[in-house]
Amino acid sequence: MPAISVEGLERAFDDVLAVQGVDLTVGEGEIYGFLGPNGAGKTTTVRMLTTLLLPTGGRATVAGHDVVKEARAVRASIGVALQEAALDPLMTGRELIRLQATLQGIPTAEGRRRADDLLERVDLVAAADRRIGAYSGGMQRRLDLAAALVHEPRVLFLDEPTTGLDPVSRKTIWEEVRALNAEGTTVFLTTQYLEEADQLADNVGIIDSGRIVAEGTPESLKAEIGNPHVRLTLAEGSIAQAEEICRQIGKLLPPKDARSVLVEVENGAADIPRVVRALDDAGIEVGSLDLVTPTLDDVFVEKTGHHLERDDANAEEEPVEA
Amino acid sequence: MPRREDLATIAALVGRAKNELLRVPAAAIPGVLAPTIFFLGLNGVFGNLTQLNGFTTDSYPSFLVAVSLLQGAGFTGAATGVNLARDIEGGWLDRLLASPAPRWVLLSGIVLSASLRAFIPATAVLAVAFAIGAHWPGLDGLLIAYAMVAATAAVAACYASALALRYRSQAAAPLMQAGMLALILCTTAYAPLALMQGWLQDIARVNPMTQVVDAVRQGFVGGIAWSDTWPGIVALAGMLAILGALSLRGMRRTAV
Amino acid sequence: MSSLAANLRVVRALGMRSVRQTFRRPQLMAPIIVFPTLLLAIQTGGAGGAVNLPGFPPVQSFLQFMLAGAMMQSLMLAANSGGIALAVDIEMGFTDRLFAAPISRYAVVLGRLAGTAALGVVTALWFLAVGLVFGAEIAGGVPGALVAIALTASAAVAIGGIGASIALRTGKSSIVQGMFPLIFVVLFLSTAFFPEALMVEPARTIAEYNPMSFVVEGIRQPIVSGLDGTDVLDAAIAVVGIAAFSMVLSVRALRHRLRTGG
Repeated sequence: MPAISVEGLERAFDDVLAVQGVDLTVGEGEIYGFLGPNGAGKTTTVRMLTTLLLPTGGRATVAGHDVVKEARAVRASIGVALQEAALDPLMTGRELIRLQATLQGIPTAEGRRRADDLLERVDLVAAADRRIGAYSGGMQRRLDLAAALVHEPRVLFLDEPTTGLDPVSRKTIWEEVRALNAEGTTVFLTTQYLEEADQLADNVGIIDSGRIVAEGTPESLKAEIGNPHVRLTLAEGSIAQAEEICRQIGKLLPPKDARSVLVEVENGAADIPRVVRALDDAGIEVGSLDLVTPTLDDVFVEKTGHHLERDDANAEEEPVEA
Repeated sequence: MPRREDLATIAALVGRAKNELLRVPAAAIPGVLAPTIFFLGLNGVFGNLTQLNGFTTDSYPSFLVAVSLLQGAGFTGAATGVNLARDIEGGWLDRLLASPAPRWVLLSGIVLSASLRAFIPATAVLAVAFAIGAHWPGLDGLLIAYAMVAATAAVAACYASALALRYRSQAAAPLMQAGMLALILCTTAYAPLALMQGWLQDIARVNPMTQVVDAVRQGFVGGIAWSDTWPGIVALAGMLAILGALSLRGMRRTAV
Repeated sequence: MSSLAANLRVVRALGMRSVRQTFRRPQLMAPIIVFPTLLLAIQTGGAGGAVNLPGFPPVQSFLQFMLAGAMMQSLMLAANSGGIALAVDIEMGFTDRLFAAPISRYAVVLGRLAGTAALGVVTALWFLAVGLVFGAEIAGGVPGALVAIALTASAAVAIGGIGASIALRTGKSSIVQGMFPLIFVVLFLSTAFFPEALMVEPARTIAEYNPMSFVVEGIRQPIVSGLDGTDVLDAAIAVVGIAAFSMVLSVRALRHRLRTGG
């Protein structure tokens, strides 16, 4: 039986269909990465799977229980660390985990023991009796994660667990997620970071504008895209001419910013001299040249026509996730 | 019959609510100051109303103390609703809703914490009232007063929680406070029913809170009688039933 | 250096901003209009029999007597609200933006007070309208109403200066908000809600000397008895005195903030 099974899941807010018919399956013991830009529908989907939001269409089961008809059984089986780290700044870390244990129906003495164990696991023993308001962002996320684990859930939902964290804190969270998964916990992880999905997930589902646009292992998704591409940075004024020349060599891809040209090259590094010679013959000066192998962002571009992560400083602001 | 886990959850939520009192004591000051200032101020302003023919006592502090006690309870309950709205805005309520604890248990924790907190402003008002000459209501009168303060705070917490769950924003705070203020003051707050002006007299007659005010007041202005007590109990039970159902419905519909 | 006309434009623009802020957020309007109206209705209905007390001044009705108190309450809350808003601007860094602009520093504070004055006019009009709708007469007619409105607006500015000075000195909206209970202390210790002769000691003696009593009586006189009498003049003197006091406090607080950055 899959840990999570979703069929045609939908959620409408007035006239807006934030989630439009999502289908996905997550096996027991898997780490599933749910990848997409801001406003794609990731958090809305997670809120439906964690029974915080009712679907307006479709159905879903988590740990074998229907999210609508057996909501309480779902809540008893899942651990949740949401995008808003729902922490009370006046409580201490220890108090929070003990409260979570009580909410999960764990007897007091057992709850205290588990709180002590979890605080040690996430390296918060020294700060356990300090108020959460004094914790750093990384500490708050670790505490949130620990609280989500107090009842040893079958399925753990992490909604953008490392957004806003420094690289060291991010790595710490990743290690903890891997460790949990090694113990058999199924993890459903939403993220807007390619590297996070690439590093952690067994399977990745890419969502855009409320729909799944691609699903598979990171390797299989990248292999679908196939060819590497050359990324050129050029002087302004020479872009149009360069694009015309590169079009003769390979397929042009949407540029990341106003000064770059991206062209697919079938033969990888072997095609680089050809590109350089063609541009040189036309008198076009190349600022920089990189050979880029496919990433999940390329998969995203292939499926949606735009990038998941934007380099351009003048990129339009994405709508905030519902 | 509530399960052991449910009672433990309610106790834990009440315990969390006490944090604000113990860890940010200044936060409790407005809730204590407001009814006390109003009590003292209104005594200074309207104290000579007792000279009117038909006034049921010659001690205005004894007459007024009931309303100030209930005002403190109303204020405490409304503040609980504002805290809930803040918890909704900050995502804390999601933590509770994603747990297997039943919705009525979550609401009970919130409402019970208001009832217990209401004893603080009530005690402050009573201390000041006795200091300026309010009559001693007897032990039975005092118990009735405290019990009705706790119940009124619960009513106010249910009302304010319903609003918090409906609007999901602290911007609804004035509505929470104004609603309770109107409910408690549109009663025999300042004068006996017979001396009130037409329209307010009509409202006070049908306002269930009037029964509560009179029930709390009885010990301070005279003796305790069951006939003056049971209408207040029935009124509180009725308001609690209706507003409790409304707030529970709001708690159950958070996922809609 | 900016010209007078330019500064007046700035004061006007900032004044309009502060009025818009208040009207766009109902939770700011509620304490200024809704609560005083509610209290007016309840106190009039509940304690209205007071007009029968021996020694109560000759009035058409208790409502007519109470209108000035409601206006006083409202203007003090509007003044406090202006102080809170200025403190929020300081917390947000918005005043830094203004101070960095080529405008007079005092225009920043005057702009906020201009908004408070506008609110004072609105609240005065509101309560006069409420009074008329519910049968109260304005004994001084249109001139009396104008005098009441002018006194309300100028008292709002004078008292608003106190709120502004606290905001400038502390930079914390929570501290200005903490003044809220004090407003009611001041009101209860004045003749806002009852004639001085019928108040209970020690409130009665305090009300006799409380400058707010003079302001309230000045607003009350045109409503209750017309423009004959000295109460309006006494009120104007009290407003000038409060304004002078609050101006000194505000100027010192502003200079302190500009000098120390906090």
